[in-house]
Amino acid sequence: MVGAGLAGVRAGEALRAQGFSGKLTLVSDEPEPPYDRPPLTKQVVTGTLTEADIRLPGTAELDARWVRGVAAVGLDRERRRVRLADGTELPYDGLVLATGARARPWPGEVPADGVLTVRGLADVRRLRSALAGGAREVAVVGAGFVGVELASSLAALGVRVTLVEPFGLPLRVLGGSVPGLVAKAARRAGVQLLTGTGVRGFHAEGEQVRGVELADGSVLPARLVVVAIGMVPATEWLQGSGLALPSGRVHCDKRLFARTPDPSGRGDPRIVVAGDVARCDAVRSADGPVPLEHWSNAAAQGELAGRNLLAGPDTAQPYAHVPSFWISAFGLRIRSVGLPGTGDRVAVEAGDPATDAVLEAHYRESRLVGAVSVNQGQLLAAYARRLHQAPEEAFLD
Amino acid sequence: MRITVDHGLCDGLGQCTLVAPEVFALNDDERLEVAPDPAPELTQKVTAAARACPVRAITVEGA
Repeated sequence: MVGAGLAGVRAGEALRAQGFSGKLTLVSDEPEPPYDRPPLTKQVVTGTLTEADIRLPGTAELDARWVRGVAAVGLDRERRRVRLADGTELPYDGLVLATGARARPWPGEVPADGVLTVRGLADVRRLRSALAGGAREVAVVGAGFVGVELASSLAALGVRVTLVEPFGLPLRVLGGSVPGLVAKAARRAGVQLLTGTGVRGFHAEGEQVRGVELADGSVLPARLVVVAIGMVPATEWLQGSGLALPSGRVHCDKRLFARTPDPSGRGDPRIVVAGDVARCDAVRSADGPVPLEHWSNAAAQGELAGRNLLAGPDTAQPYAHVPSFWISAFGLRIRSVGLPGTGDRVAVEAGDPATDAVLEAHYRESRLVGAVSVNQGQLLAAYARRLHQAPEEAFLD
Repeated sequence: MRITVDHGLCDGLGQCTLVAPEVFALNDDERLEVAPDPAPELTQKVTAAARACPVRAITVEGA
């Protein structure tokens, strides 16, 4: 397994559960034992969970060799070797690619002190130490999942938060009335929300950031800036491996085998892909495969990747997971199934957006493609069932 | 099969209700309810639902 986050660990567990008794090695560029990421932007920031609390359980039972704090830097599929940053080579009979992603860095100059991205434990440690050092005015740039959760957690800590979103409302990928609800709830929680506001760059005194320069030339004062503008799949190391890397993700077939540019479309039978790094043919909208960057996908894909690797391509099972995610911020409990952002029509099917309790179904050419609930999570299972039972009507090809 | 839910951990995320709706459901307050005595043929689904719980609030014994 290259990548020892949730997807890599689940793949290892599945291999063992299926009776694989050979050698397992998990490689991670992070020094920590495997941990869960969802609490990072919430309970770990607010301090209600510690690093020990978020460790993934069961890793000792994997009976695996762990290579920690060392990145993979190359893949030679012909010789079946993974090259590591320390110069060693790992031979493999089967390989799970689960390297995940990195936070997208700010595409310009950044002062050395006080500007962070948040993806892993080390980032949250830096964030917490900046807060402990007295940062009481924080700007968060980007109102996607990470930005919104962080803004919510920081506001709960009593920090003055400004959330800047260049492209419109927060969580706009959810569509329908939910982004508007999130905007209202953020303001209610005391967050200063600037939408449709571009960011030019940063002001610093020496190396310490002092503010964010907005598109209109004004400067938003901030001692701490979190840049939350998405993620970049961690696949640089696979350049030259001969694997198909559309938009930087590892393209895999419906059974999670890594695809090569081979016109037959056959995947590499020794390599499976799981989690944020994957672009899987089994998860698609009418416009093509959709990458998923959620916990439930990493868990389910990791597990199937392990099983399918052991089974081999001929008896491997197709990935048939209904996408789902959750985000809780500013008192709103938002849940989703399917691919809500890919529809062309949104219908309120329960509740009322004016009351912060609503369920919206998303349709594309009158076929259900997803649903989003706010404080109405009990209604989602029925939509998941519809999406699962009629996959041809949605994202499963 | 004996299912235990730690309601101190459960956050009503509902992932289990998507995997095994025959056994797990959220009520109108988004609190988790578990059907008593699930049929043995649901064992696989129930263990999958437990693995789908991000906060590991579900324990299944005798599966």
